Amino acid sequence: MREDGLLTQKFDKLLIANRGEIAVRILRACHELGIRTVAVYSDADRNALHVRYADEAYHIGPAPARESYLVIEKILDVARRSGAEAVHPGYGFLAERAEFAQACVDAGLVFVGPPVHAIRVMGDKLMARQTVQAAGVPVVPGTEPGLNDEALVAAADQIGYPLLVKAAAGGGGKGMRPVYEPEALPGAIAAARREAEAAFGDGTVYLEKMIEGGRHIEIQLLADAEGNIIYLGERECSLQRRHQKLIEEAPSFVVDEELRRRMGEVAVAAARAVNYVNAGTIEFLLDKDKNFYFLEMNTRLQVEHPVTELVTGVDIVQEQLRIARGRRLRFQQEDIRMRGWAIECRINAEDPYNNYLPSTGQITMSRLPTGPGVRVDTGVFTGYEVTPHYDPMISKLICYGETRAEAILRMRRALEEYRIMGVKTNIPFHQHMMESHRFLSGQFDTKFVEERFSMNEREPADVMEAAILAALVAHRQGQQASQVVAPGERDTSNWKWYSRWERLRR
Amino acid sequence: MKYMAMVGDKEFTIEINHEYEILVNGERYEVDFRQLPEGSVYSLLLNHRSLEAVVEERDDLWQVLLRGELYEVQVQDERAYRLARARGTAVSVTGEAVIKSPMPGIIIKVPVAAGDVVKKGDTVVILESMKMENELKAPRDGVVKRVQTQQGASVEKNQVLVIIGDPHEEG
Repeated sequence: MREDGLLTQKFDKLLIANRGEIAVRILRACHELGIRTVAVYSDADRNALHVRYADEAYHIGPAPARESYLVIEKILDVARRSGAEAVHPGYGFLAERAEFAQACVDAGLVFVGPPVHAIRVMGDKLMARQTVQAAGVPVVPGTEPGLNDEALVAAADQIGYPLLVKAAAGGGGKGMRPVYEPEALPGAIAAARREAEAAFGDGTVYLEKMIEGGRHIEIQLLADAEGNIIYLGERECSLQRRHQKLIEEAPSFVVDEELRRRMGEVAVAAARAVNYVNAGTIEFLLDKDKNFYFLEMNTRLQVEHPVTELVTGVDIVQEQLRIARGRRLRFQQEDIRMRGWAIECRINAEDPYNNYLPSTGQITMSRLPTGPGVRVDTGVFTGYEVTPHYDPMISKLICYGETRAEAILRMRRALEEYRIMGVKTNIPFHQHMMESHRFLSGQFDTKFVEERFSMNEREPADVMEAAILAALVAHRQGQQASQVVAPGERDTSNWKWYSRWERLRR
Repeated sequence: MKYMAMVGDKEFTIEINHEYEILVNGERYEVDFRQLPEGSVYSLLLNHRSLEAVVEERDDLWQVLLRGELYEVQVQDERAYRLARARGTAVSVTGEAVIKSPMPGIIIKVPVAAGDVVKKGDTVVILESMKMENELKAPRDGVVKRVQTQQGASVEKNQVLVIIGDPHEEG
């Protein structure tokens, strides 16, 4: 084991400490590389795809994540019982918890991710800022975390408005609040503390200047244990709502070869500052004048990694596994070329016409789009229950084209082909975006979805056709029901006949 | 058979007399309509225009998934429609608007009280679910008639939280 908590060695059996689409994604890479797999599951996930795809599966407790997927001892216990030699944390859950990585290496397990020290430094917003700043990486002006409310209010005047209240332990936009004028600050601090407390058990917040018109551009990195670090180009992730990414693409419309090289080199320097190993992502804010600022480093696999895979041809998860086995990177920087264009739409169980309210319930049908240039990563299937226990993402629909326009046309086609029933989804949001002039011309920033994009103007195209279909089905059902109650026409009892007919229909 | 089909604020009169043709608002359409073995998937040729849809009944509404869009359609046969009209229970924009919890969660805040005047789009309940705070908005202008929940309460899916009445109603 390295001094900074990195253990790399060959392994043939790996435990996936996650669920859903990302667990399936990791299982696939393992099976391609001949690594045996161990899944864990909560009460809610016995029928889940990741359980069925894995070589072995172990129950780890009730549905709430804090009693199952977040319990380090339970994961380690399964590793012991199953004889797993390595652990892949996926994203979310325990992926960026340094104590989990530490517990893995202490138990002699390879943690498929960075050294414990790198997780610790990058997981602490203040330490991360100081560390990368010392390495010459530009950062956004702001305060340190841990100030009390009065000190925050005082600091806010110096930073200037607009600004962001952010959770020190945050991620995924939880515990983050924008503030445009001083009067709104106390309320925003209180809301952010409350949300951070609920999500992370830590209500510590800090302030950061808001860069207006900024775009969220991130650089994907791969690093091996010998200190070789390369960047796999950028991802454009500006289309967000409440700091939850909704659409990502690679490359970015606004990043040219020169800017890509500069951002890539700065990202590599930031990673080198913590002796980073494995896959990681540096998030930057890019302003209108093409200045970029370090936001944070995600010391794990990202949800949106597939768009990079499609344009670089590199299987990032396979590379993670190779690196964790102690192998040297197979690529050098000059081997990495971006070719074509990839777009990812996150399909969420939420109602785009009703303030994006989450929608729960059983998926009664899931038929995925296929065909040229289409990839779907999902853990959802017919019969799957969307519950409030886990995040509402149903799938990631990723389309590839030679050009951005071709990728967009493919995405439109694929969105139309997707059949998912039982919950409301944000597919109409994506369709509307794929038709928006601002999106088509690449003119958007991180505020676009919230401030200048509305579903109100969308006129669904087939209202009459939908009415006809519903009437035809209602009519048919009414006729069948009336046949059932018509007496004396069949010799078997009507109830028997009805239940047979019901079974036939399924 | 004559049916009234309502989608949002649009209403269609659909007359189905034969397997092969229908009248929509009096206009004739040739139809070939099949249910596929794959659950609730239907194939419709409407004047030879090919449409594939998933159609399921839920809470007295027909959900129709068509080219990515999910439509909610209320279908009533002519008799039921007339009866509903007579009783005044047909779909209408007046009367009470009931804010229900769209999912299980915890009430973070109820920024309104009984008697408050609200505008369409005003936040009436903040619900935490899936670790996110969700703002439930008033669907139209009105007066809060009743608040049936409180801060800190755990609520089930479809639980009634707030009832909004017409602006002119008293109390």
